[in-house]
Amino acid sequence: MKRKQNDAMQHPRTYIDTMHFWGKVWSVTALCVLFAVPLVFSLYYHVFPKWDIFLKAVLKIIPIYWGTAIVEVLTYTPMLGAGGTYLSFVTGNITNLKLPCALNALDRSGYRASAEEGEVISTIAIASSSITTTLVIAVGVLAFGPSIAKITAPDSVLAPAFTYVIPALFGALGASYFLKHWRISIFPIAVGILVYVFSPTMPVGTMIFVTIVAAVLGALALYKMNLLKD
Amino acid sequence: MDFKNSGVLYALAAMVVLFVIVQSFFFMYKAWKRGKEIGIPSATMKQTVLSSALFSIAPAISILATVLALASALGYVLPWIRLSVIGNLAYETVAAEAALEALGTSMANTNLSTMEFSTVAWAMTVGSCFPLILLPFLCKRVHKMMNKVLGGGESTDEKAGEKANSKQKLGDILGAAAFIGIMAAFIARSVMGVQKDGPSAGFMMLAVLLSAMIFTVSLDLLCKKKHLTKLEPFVLPIAMFGAMGIAVLLTQVLSPEVSQFVWRSIAENGQIVWSR
Repeated sequence: MKRKQNDAMQHPRTYIDTMHFWGKVWSVTALCVLFAVPLVFSLYYHVFPKWDIFLKAVLKIIPIYWGTAIVEVLTYTPMLGAGGTYLSFVTGNITNLKLPCALNALDRSGYRASAEEGEVISTIAIASSSITTTLVIAVGVLAFGPSIAKITAPDSVLAPAFTYVIPALFGALGASYFLKHWRISIFPIAVGILVYVFSPTMPVGTMIFVTIVAAVLGALALYKMNLLKD
Repeated sequence: MDFKNSGVLYALAAMVVLFVIVQSFFFMYKAWKRGKEIGIPSATMKQTVLSSALFSIAPAISILATVLALASALGYVLPWIRLSVIGNLAYETVAAEAALEALGTSMANTNLSTMEFSTVAWAMTVGSCFPLILLPFLCKRVHKMMNKVLGGGESTDEKAGEKANSKQKLGDILGAAAFIGIMAAFIARSVMGVQKDGPSAGFMMLAVLLSAMIFTVSLDLLCKKKHLTKLEPFVLPIAMFGAMGIAVLLTQVLSPEVSQFVWRSIAENGQIVWSR
C-alpha cells in the first residue's frame, strides 16, 4: 500500500506524459479522418470546389474560427485536463457539453482539477459524454430522423424543452457552485449582465472571456483582502 | 440518386462515428487504469460514467436538432459527420451559411449541385480543423505553465511549508473563479442577452434558469439530509430535465404573451428595442 502510494508520488508525470503522447497521435489521426470526408466525396464524384469561391467563404470563416480556436485551446486546456482536452477538441461542443460535464463530475467527486485524480475523473466524464453524444446523434439520424424532427419542430409540445436547454443546463450546474462560492460569483455575473445591457447581442463565446477575467480579478482582489476564508 | 444521402457519405459517417467511439474508449481505459492505480474508488468512476452519460442526452438531442435544421440544404449525413467531429452547434451553421452565401445561394436551397456541396464540405472542414493543429503544439505547454502557476500536479498534499499551501489554496480559488466565469457568461446571457438565432432573455429564460437552480439546490439538500449518496451524481441531469419540463409546462399553461415575453428583441430594422 505504502509502496503504491510512493509510486504514485514519484511518477505522476508518466501518466500525464502518456496522455500527451497519445493525445498528439489521436489529434493527427482525427485531422486525417476529418479531411478524408470532403476528399473522398470530391474524388468519388470527381468534383472539387471552385477554389476562388471556396477561398471567399473560407476567408470569411477563418479569422473568427481560427481566432476562437486559439483562445479556446488556451482557456479550456487547463480546465479539461490532458486526456479531456484532446478528447473534447476532437468531438467538439465544448462549452455547451464537454466542459459542464467535466465540471460537474469534478464537483461531485470532490477532486481538484489540477490533481491527477481530477485529470482521471474529467477524462472519464468527457469520454462517457462523447460516446453518449455520438451514439445519440447517430441513432437519432438513422432511426428517428423524422420523429426527432417532429419532437424538436417549433410547433411540437416538447419544443420549448429544447429551446431552453442552455439555461436549464447552466442553471443546474451553476447553482451549487454559486452557493459554495457566492463571494466570487457575484462580481462576474454582475459584470456579464451589465455588459449585456449595453451590448445585448454579444456572442456568448466572447462574453466568456469577459466574465472569466472579471471572475479571476475579483477573486484575486477578495483573496488579497482576506475575504476568502474557506 | 440523391448524392447528399449516398452510400459513400454513409460509409464516411460510419468511419467518423467509429473513430470517435474508439478514441473515447481508449482514453477512458487509460484513465480508468490510472484511477485504480492512484486509489480512486471504482464506484466513483462508475458514477462518473453514468451521470456524464445521462447528463449528455439532452444537449445531444439539441445537437441532433441542429443536424436536422441543416438537413434541408445539406442532407442528413454531412451535418451529422460535421457535428460528430469538432463540430459545434453554432459554428457549423455559420460555416455552412458563409459557404452557401459565397456560392450565391442560401440554406433554403434544397437543390445544391455536387460542386456546391463539396465547396460547403471543404469550407466547413477547413474552418473547424484549427484546434486539432494547435493542440499537439500547445496542450502540453499550457498544462505545464498552469501547473507551475497553480502548484498542481501532485496527488497528495503532504508537501510541507506554508508557502506551497497558500499557493495551492490560491490555485484552487482561481480555478473555481475560472469555472464560475464560464457559467457567469451563460447566466448573464439568460438574464439580459438578445439572440438572433435563439431565445432572448425574458420571462421564460429566467423561469427555466431559476427552476434549474432551485431543483439543484433542493435535490442537493435532500441528498445531504437523507444521506442519499447514490442519488448525488444524478442531481444535475434531473434538475436539468426538470427545468426543461417547466419550460414545456409554462408554455402550455400560460398565455403566449406571458410565456413568450422578452425584455428586448431585434426589430425589423435590426435595432434592439425594449418590449412594452
